[in-house]
Parts: sequence; structure tokens; C-alpha cells
Amino acid sequence: MNIVVLIKQVPGNSDVKLDPKTGNLIREGIDAIINPDDLQALETAITLKETLGAKVTVLTMGPPQAIDALSEAIGMGADGAILLSDRAFAGADTWATSFTLGKAIQRIGKFDLILAGRQAIDGDTAQVGPQVAECLDLPQVTYVFDIETVENGYVRVKRRLEDGYERIQCSLPALLTIIGGPVKPRYPEVASLLSACHAKAPIQVWNAADIGVTTADVGMSGSFTQVVKTFAPKFERHGELLEGSAVEVVHNLIERLKQNKLI
Amino acid sequence: MAVWVEIDLCDGCRRCKRECPYDAIEIKDGKAQIGDRCTCCGACLEVCHHKAIHTDIQPKTIPDFSEYKGIWVFAEQRGGNLTRVSVELLGKAQELAKQLNEEVSAVLIGHHVADLADTLIQFGADLVYLADGEIFGNYRSEPYSYVLDELIKAYKPSILLMGATHIGRDLAPRVSRRTGSGLTADCTELSIDREEGILLQTRPAFGGNVMATIANRFSRPQMATVRPGVMEVVPTPGKEGVVITHESKVTEDQVRTKILEFVKEESPHVDLSKAKIIVAGGRGVNDLEGFGLLHELASALGAEIAGTRVAVEAGWISAANQVGQTGVTVRPELYVACGVSGAIQHRAGMMDSRFIVAINKDPYAPIFKVADWGIVGDLFDVIPELTKGLKTSCEVMCD
Amino acid sequence: MIRSNPEELIRKNIARFVDNEIIPIAQELDNKGEFPRDIFKKLSKMGIFGIRYPRHRGGSGGNTTLFCIICEEISRGLLSVASIVAMQSLMGTNFLFHYGTGEMFEEFFLPAMRGEKIGCFCMTEPDAGSDLGAITTRATEVDDGYLINGMKTWVTDGPEASFYTVMCQTDPSKRLRGIGYFFIPRNLPGVSLSSRFQCLGTRTTPICEVAFKDVFIPKEYRLTPEGEGLNAFLKIIAEIRAMTAALALGLQRAAMADSIKYANERMASGKPIGKFQLVQSKIANMATNLEASKLMTYRATAMIDEGKEALKEATMAKYFATESACSASDECTRIFAGYGYSMEYTAQRYFRDARFLLNGGGTHEVLQCNIARWVGI
Repeated sequence: MNIVVLIKQVPGNSDVKLDPKTGNLIREGIDAIINPDDLQALETAITLKETLGAKVTVLTMGPPQAIDALSEAIGMGADGAILLSDRAFAGADTWATSFTLGKAIQRIGKFDLILAGRQAIDGDTAQVGPQVAECLDLPQVTYVFDIETVENGYVRVKRRLEDGYERIQCSLPALLTIIGGPVKPRYPEVASLLSACHAKAPIQVWNAADIGVTTADVGMSGSFTQVVKTFAPKFERHGELLEGSAVEVVHNLIERLKQNKLI
Repeated sequence: MAVWVEIDLCDGCRRCKRECPYDAIEIKDGKAQIGDRCTCCGACLEVCHHKAIHTDIQPKTIPDFSEYKGIWVFAEQRGGNLTRVSVELLGKAQELAKQLNEEVSAVLIGHHVADLADTLIQFGADLVYLADGEIFGNYRSEPYSYVLDELIKAYKPSILLMGATHIGRDLAPRVSRRTGSGLTADCTELSIDREEGILLQTRPAFGGNVMATIANRFSRPQMATVRPGVMEVVPTPGKEGVVITHESKVTEDQVRTKILEFVKEESPHVDLSKAKIIVAGGRGVNDLEGFGLLHELASALGAEIAGTRVAVEAGWISAANQVGQTGVTVRPELYVACGVSGAIQHRAGMMDSRFIVAINKDPYAPIFKVADWGIVGDLFDVIPELTKGLKTSCEVMCD
Repeated sequence: MIRSNPEELIRKNIARFVDNEIIPIAQELDNKGEFPRDIFKKLSKMGIFGIRYPRHRGGSGGNTTLFCIICEEISRGLLSVASIVAMQSLMGTNFLFHYGTGEMFEEFFLPAMRGEKIGCFCMTEPDAGSDLGAITTRATEVDDGYLINGMKTWVTDGPEASFYTVMCQTDPSKRLRGIGYFFIPRNLPGVSLSSRFQCLGTRTTPICEVAFKDVFIPKEYRLTPEGEGLNAFLKIIAEIRAMTAALALGLQRAAMADSIKYANERMASGKPIGKFQLVQSKIANMATNLEASKLMTYRATAMIDEGKEALKEATMAKYFATESACSASDECTRIFAGYGYSMEYTAQRYFRDARFLLNGGGTHEVLQCNIARWVGI
């Protein structure tokens, strides 16, 4: 079985701030990590590799620094990794991103399962997975928290809904988006991390020409949507500290809850 | 699109070859040749001294979308019940439609769901597009996206809104890619730009630390998913509307997924995102016994109970009740955080609460920064007192 | 070719482990004072213990610099966990790795790498610490082996270990030249342990005395060949001191980070206390000492990795980084003021834990004498 895992490197701390003057994101001093849902997808893929046997290829799009996400994936047990990196890919919305990833997956060629995290903590769109599925004309199941079986050309999964879950059978090849399940993602092994740093490590870097796309179709120029402005959300909190004995503070709190018709 | 070399003008100077980021140019017999690796990036055009390289690449322009009209709302239903967010979206759609002077339509897909059309009209739909058939019985990505695509191609709406529910967030990206439209996820504000007449879609990003306003100038319909519970319901009693029935060409053999069963979760799996009042516990609650105090407080307040990641991992509360980045995002009227330090991951899930109360013994806990009312103290003293106080005040009111 | 930088990659991943798995429970672990079995297991799964050893012999293929980066990061979370890691990766297994037979490698070394067995190092005696020539634990040659007699104290991980690397005297007349290392599994007759020591800091690290009474070991359990004990010791003492400096670095970083956070949040007279110059002075000193410690430590490890003699550099790094850790944790408790005296805050733990570093790898009084001698006194 061939599994492709789509991952994204995101700021490790979502406590990002806007520069009050320029309105741009302040990215300095923020460690980059593998997006948590994607890490779960990776764990799922590697568990499948251990139980059923599979070749796991990890794919990401990002700046050269995103190589660390791939090294970590190798450290967790992935067999190979591809970094899609090109200035032309910068500024992509989910439309252009899914197109680029789709082209790269076509170049990878053989796959039975594509796993992606449900959503990334920086963009929170949850769109790239299903859009890649549509690009490649694959069936999709989103919000998957458990893969029951993969056999006879079908995968059986559990899909989370607001009030329960569905058990779904889906023909292969298919794309699944993964959410956190009972298994916590493993930490990488230091030996594999070190081998991922080696020149001979199975990591490739592809640019626009490598996947055969025109620059007009990727990145900012290939996007339909643009950010027209960003701003800090407004908070108008009372920010009042109630002090005194337990009886006093509770009395004061209840007063305030009543004033605001909360009770 | 292509880039080509006018051989007669080329003197084989190699400037373009050096400039090409993709190794797509070769010099053969003293002339530049552009190969398969060309991405039409245009880097070579500027460096050629003899203007020997040409292209038909056009700067991006906004196409004419004048035939796209109307605001559509995907009317999500499960088992014949409309989701509340669909009705909320009709409320917002009415407001947007007024500004654009266009109509509001609802798209209703399902099996034996025709009855719901009238409800949609009573909440603001001028038109209802109805696709009814066995294949649409339970929501599945493929048939739903195929039929929506058919409708969009046939009727050309300008705007399409869906709820940012599990179904909406499964369907919208699929439809967007199929119809060739841009899509914005999980919006909390929608408005019309008066000059351009386009939809401005505002949404939180980076766990709510940044708000971004997004426009979709280059494709139609302008698609957005919208967070449940944000938009206001605007009933239109007595309104009359038109139902247009659509016969879809989708057949079962085009569908590659099969729902084996639906398991309703037995645990009191409350939908925290709809709760009006939430009492949440974190590390400071210490143990199950501590959570007992929270349950008492919750019942006095008529609140749902929730917890941080720590509380879930410690087994004090089920994973379904986890609030935060990796759990549920909640927006209650009142959020009472007990023994919650307020790590950003948790704050991301509850910052939009209307009022926040924090009880924590650490005066420097970050939770106090987002609290309306903070109590620095031992929750084991404060909470029983609060429960008692609430019960008494309720009795007073009942008298 | 785009590739990750191994040092940054390892640091980042260990840091993530520390942030997620250690820091949230550090106070709790310290309060309980039990051996952190769960964390030990998780670390072994990452292959941490083999970081100094080559891949083809059961290790993870790193070097001293990477080992020290790992020690530093873990120490930032909880020094006592880091000291356990250091013992398992360095002193507890080093001599077994270099001198043990193939059978011992299979039976003890590989399980230690997997975290299934714990190894530790017995050097200090009740009457001999830094003065190695004075050790009295005797290895007496008998038919087919040795008899070991003596008492070792301050044995880090002693209560948890399944095997000990014991420094013994083979011939008291030879003093330093007579010392050698002997491998002693804990389950041999004649090995007995005292109860666990009650210590000021590093409370999850179990420490005890180990006594050997007529313990018979086979010949192959003599690890260092005759006359090589001292050399073997000198070979790793620089690494031990660099590692101790790295532990001190981690502690400094933790104390400084908490101090900065607190100084920016805590208000006095209407402004954060970080706005007061006396607090700024403390933070500035911490930051400067930290930077100097970092440079000294990783210069020493780089020299060790290049195969250069680095005892002087490592000794100075250990001395300076540890003194800086003691002063940073002291200043941290002062910045925290009343809360620095409270057992519920981290400051007190840094203050207590820092003292552990003063003795490990040589007391500062002895180190200063060494340094003075090396520069010409």
C-alpha cells in the first residue's frame, strides 16, 4: 500500500500578534511545528505501515525552512518526503494550494490513500483536503478519527459528526482528513532525525517546473481569494478583579451576573 | 500560455539561461531554446537585450460576472431537520440581498424533504431549489457536490453560503473546486463592499488572534462557510416563495462511499458550541472530586460542563467536552473558568464568550487577562460558596 | 541541497517533548519525588540514551554536542530528569559499551538503550570524593575472577539500577595507577543498598549507598585492562563536566524565562516590576551569564567532538555555568519575592536543584585548584 500524507508547517505558538503599525503578522521568535492534525495523520499513516505494511510518502508545500517538518516526519517513520518549494508558490489560497498539491501527487504517481489533517491551526480552513480530493477526482471522508480496516480495495473508517459518528466504507484510492483520536502522535527517534539531515536522506525538493505547472496557476497569482485587510480582534472585557473573602467575592460576582442578566 | 524565442533576434548570449529559475532554457547552435520545464514565470523576458523572447501571458484581469446574480444558502438538513445555521444564514442573506437588490435562494437537498421548503421561505428565502431523491438520503460528499455543481452551473448565483458545520466544511471545498470558485472558511462577519459590489468575508485566523477580511474578486459564486451561532435569525412570516425542483443526473454508481451506520453517541454529548452557560475546569480542579463541585455549580447555573485538555487527559471529563484549539470552540453568554490557567490553546476556544469569569489561585494566570470578572482564590472555597449563593438568589427570585 | 540542521532539529524536537511532557508535570514529579518511570520510557523510545553511541552498535549516531543539547533541553524542564538521562547515556553505560564483551552488550547494553535496564556509576566513597587515589573499594583477583569489597556513596540512580560500573582499587600501593572499572550486576550475592537519600533538590533522582561484600564477578566483568583505569576515566571526565555545564545551562534558561515572565506581569507601584532598574540588572546578569555559559559549554563539546583535549575548557564551563545557575536561581527567587519562598512556584525548585550541580563532576573548590594549576600556579 502506498500512502501519501499531506502536512503543513505552522507557527508553533498560535499566540501570534499583529504589528500595530503595519498590520502584518509578527512571526519572529515563533517556532515552527507540524500542524497538530497533520501530525495525527502522520501517526495514522505510520500505524498503518506497522500493521499492514505501507510505503509512506510525506508531502508539504512551504519555504525551505519547512524541511524540518519533513525531517520530523522521517524521524517518526515516513519512508520518503517531498518539499514543494518555489517563490512562485507563495501567497497561495486553498484553491491554488490544492491545485499545486494535486499536481505533485500526480507526479508521485502511485497511491492508495492520501491522508491529511482536518485543518491547520494557522488558517483553520479545513479546505485543502477536500479540494485536493476533487482535483484528483477521489472520494473523500473528512473528520476521520479511526481507520477500522483497509482491505479488498476499500477502507472502512469512523467519521465524527456533531452528535455521534458515522461508519463509512469508501473505495480506494481515497483521501481522508484526520482528526485527533485516542492515539497520541509519537515523538520522532533521534537516530532517524539525524539520518534525515544527511545528504542521502530520501527527501526531494520540487519546484514549479518539477511538477509541470505554470507560475500563473500557483501561488498568489493562481488564487481566487485575497486578504484585503487584517486587524486585531476587539476585546472589551471588564477586567475586574474581585477581592475579599470567599463570601464577599461571591456576593459581588452574583451582583454583576444579575446586572448583566446572566442569571 | 507560452514563452518563445524569436530565433533571428537571439544572439545566444546566455543571459536568459542564467536568469531562468527552472533550468528550462538551453542554448543550442548558438540560440536559446525554451524547454518543457518552462513555467511561464517571465524571468527571462526582462533580461533579453534584443527583445527576442516573447510571451502571451496576460496580466490577471477580473472577468465579467454580470450574469451571476442572487444569494444562495445551502439549507443543511439531517434526517429531515434543518440545522439552525441554515436559518441563520437566511437571515444574513436577506440583509446582503437588500444591499445588492438581489434575491435570496435556499438550496435544499435530501430525500422526502420538500416540506422544509416552506420553512425556508418563512425565514427569508425567495426561491427554494429542491433536489429530492433517494441518493440524497444521508449526506455524502459526492452526490451533494455533484448536484450543487449542476445547480450553480444552471442558475449562476453570485454568492453561496454554507454553515461551517462538519457537513458544510466537507461539502463547500469540494463544490468550490468542482465549480471553479474561491472559498473562505468559517466566517464570522459578512458584508458587501459598496464600490465593487463584492462580498467581504471576515474570519478569525491564528486561533482568533488575528481577524482577516477576504475578498473573492476572480471567481463566482463567492463562496463562504459561516460559523454557526453568529448570524441572527430573521423570520419572514407570511412570505411567499417559489420552489424550483431540480432533477439531478447523479447516479449511485458515481458515488464511491457508503454509510454503514450512524452511531449516536450515548454519552451526554451536549453540543457545547450551542450552550448558553459553560462551567469549565482545568488542572487546578485536581481530581474527579473537584469536578464534582463544578457539576454542582453547573446545575445551579443551568450550565453545561467543559474542560481543558489537561482535564480530558486526566480523565476527569470526556473528550467531547474539551474546549480549546484541539477541542470545541464555544461562544456562550457566560463562561466560568475554574482552575484554568488560560493557555492560548484553551483561550482560542472560549475567547468569544460574551462574559468570562475566572477563578484561579494564581493571580498571574493568563486567564485573568481575558476575564470580565476574576477571582483570585481557592476554587475549593469559592465554588461551593458560589453554588450556595446562586441557589439562594434563585430562591429569592422565585419568591 | 536543502537539509535540516541536525543540532537545531534535535533541540527543537527535544524541546517539544520537554514542553509537552515534562514541564506541565514538573512540579508534580518533584513533589512526589518518585523515579519518573513514564518519562524514562518515553525518552528511551526516542532513542535518547544512545545519542553518544554509533548507530551500528545500538546507538543513535550523535555526538557530545548533541548529547549536551539534549541534556540542556531536558534540564530546562526538570533537572532531575536530565541527570537521570545523563547517567544512563554517559557514565552508566560508557565503560560497558567500550569494554564489555559481546554477551554483556546483548544482555545489558542494548536493554539499557531501550530503557529496560538502568545502569549507573559508582565512584564516590564515604571517605573519598574528588581524591580518587584514596578510594578503598578493593577488587581482589581470585581464581577465574575478582572479589569486590567496599562501599560507594552518592550513587545516582542507585536504587533503580540493574547494573553498576564501579571504580575499584586493584593495588593500593599504586594509588591512581591501580584504579580500574568493574561491572557488577545488582542481583549478585553480596550487593546491598542503603535506603534512598533525602536530598535538598533533584528529588526525582534516586540516590543511595551501595555496599559490596565479597561480591564475586567473573574475569570479563573487569572492564578496563590493567593500568588503563585512570586513562579511561580521563577520557570521559571532560565529557562529564561539559554535560554538567549543559545541565546548568538548562536550569539557567528555565530560571531566566520564569523571571522575565514574572517581572513583566507582576505589578508594583502601578507598573510591572521589570520596569525597575534593580530587577533589570538581575535579568541582564542572568542573560549575560547564560550567553557566556553557552559559548563555553559548546566550545568544549565541539573540541571533544573533534577529538581534542578539552578538560580545561570543560572544567571552566562546568564551573562557570554551575555558578551562573546557582546565581540565576537565587536571583529568580528574589524576583519572585514572597512567591519565591512558596513551594507552589517554580523558583524554589530551581534554587534547590541548582545545588546538585555544585558537586557532580567535581566540587568547585577542587575545580578551581585544577584551573589555577593549569594556568601556572
